[in-house]
Amino acid sequence: MKSVPTKKTHVLGAALFAAALALPSYQTAFAEATPEHGNVAFKYLNYKDSQPGNDRIGVNAITGSLMMPFAGTWTVSSSYTYDSVSGASPTHHDVVSSASIKETRNAGDLSFTKYLPNGSWAFGLSYSKESDYVSNGYSVQRSLSTEDKNTTVTFGGSYTTDTVGHNNYATNPPVNVEVGKKEIISGLFGVTKILSKVDIIQLNIGFSKGDGYFTDPYKSYDIRPKQRNITTLMARWNHHFENTDGTSHLSYRYYTDSYEVAAHTLTAEYLHPLPNHLTIIPSLRFSSQSAAYFYHPYSAADYPPADAVSGTMPYSMDQRLSGFGALTLGMKAEKKLASSWTADLKLEYYKQLPGWCINGSGDSQLKEFNFTSIQLGVSHEL
Amino acid sequence: MKITVMQKMMYALLLLLTLGLSGCSMGETVQPWDKAILARPEMTFEGDPLDTKYVEHIYSSKEAASGGAGVGGGGCGCN
Repeated sequence: MKSVPTKKTHVLGAALFAAALALPSYQTAFAEATPEHGNVAFKYLNYKDSQPGNDRIGVNAITGSLMMPFAGTWTVSSSYTYDSVSGASPTHHDVVSSASIKETRNAGDLSFTKYLPNGSWAFGLSYSKESDYVSNGYSVQRSLSTEDKNTTVTFGGSYTTDTVGHNNYATNPPVNVEVGKKEIISGLFGVTKILSKVDIIQLNIGFSKGDGYFTDPYKSYDIRPKQRNITTLMARWNHHFENTDGTSHLSYRYYTDSYEVAAHTLTAEYLHPLPNHLTIIPSLRFSSQSAAYFYHPYSAADYPPADAVSGTMPYSMDQRLSGFGALTLGMKAEKKLASSWTADLKLEYYKQLPGWCINGSGDSQLKEFNFTSIQLGVSHEL
Repeated sequence: MKITVMQKMMYALLLLLTLGLSGCSMGETVQPWDKAILARPEMTFEGDPLDTKYVEHIYSSKEAASGGAGVGGGGCGCN
């Protein structure tokens, strides 16, 4: 039985906020008129995940963002994120233990949007760096609206290049060795349509082609294909209830990739206004995914796994590539304060179980996985 | 890239929905003076950008599926 330091990064950490926040180049599919006012915002995140009897990764992140209109028809947006990850990564299998980790990340992004009478152009850059992972991203997006502004077509693309390293935590400080690179090219096509004065819907289809190093260097016997191609279909519907002055947000995403993972994700939330400029937002999310074709449950009879040892076949025991279902319950409160300030607080609880998989079979050996998160934010209209 | 039956079905569905969305037969024609509610922040798909970024990255690190709402975004070590 081999024990592998799973560090944070590739397990969660990196993931978590790294690029995340660096999503500078991230453009949502829909453009509107030039904003009249700028905005500055700060948000703090506390994240903690666990498995029965074990507390795992803890993350504290802080993000600041600024958006400013300029030159009449342009906006510039930027954000910066700093996060720290500590604890031990999830035990994906009894045979893969975890090591204590402590890591920090810096991520930033910058984007410019040009608003035109019939749509917009958006250009974005992103950068994220931690000790064993560096990511650079570039994106461009075009939106075109019909004359009556009731229908908007959006198409865009992005290019991301990442450098993947491996830290040897047996040394102090850890020694990082580059293990590979990967490139990802993505495209998106979307249509947004106003259906009535209280209904708007959106349909997006996305494609992604990835080449390079996708293996997790911190996991035992993890060998992944050098290509990963992804297709997504997302439908969203926002509806305003005139009798309550509330608004519902419903979305469904279908995901499929060349790993043969298929996932169905449903999200619902309702924004309910209360007196004193307070809004409460309960939310619910359910997602179910099937397993990757090269995911293998741990088997004592085949350990070390012959396919992985020979290196001839893709092989992984990563829990995230197994079949499971996951449910998230959330509650958010937003309060408008004086002088154009807004404060918000959000709590979420997540549970992932193999038995909740509805489009495949889960690995019954895997333990349930949970996380809780707290977000605390303020924003100010300039 | 091999296209599966499921993907072909999805493309067909997308084509139908796109044609439907682009057509004039779906929904009523909403005039500019009827768009006061649609102009509210809660009726946009952007939501709270920082909240969205945090949440999407948490999910992309704990599940195999990600993306779908837009293009771009930095890479991360979550595999």
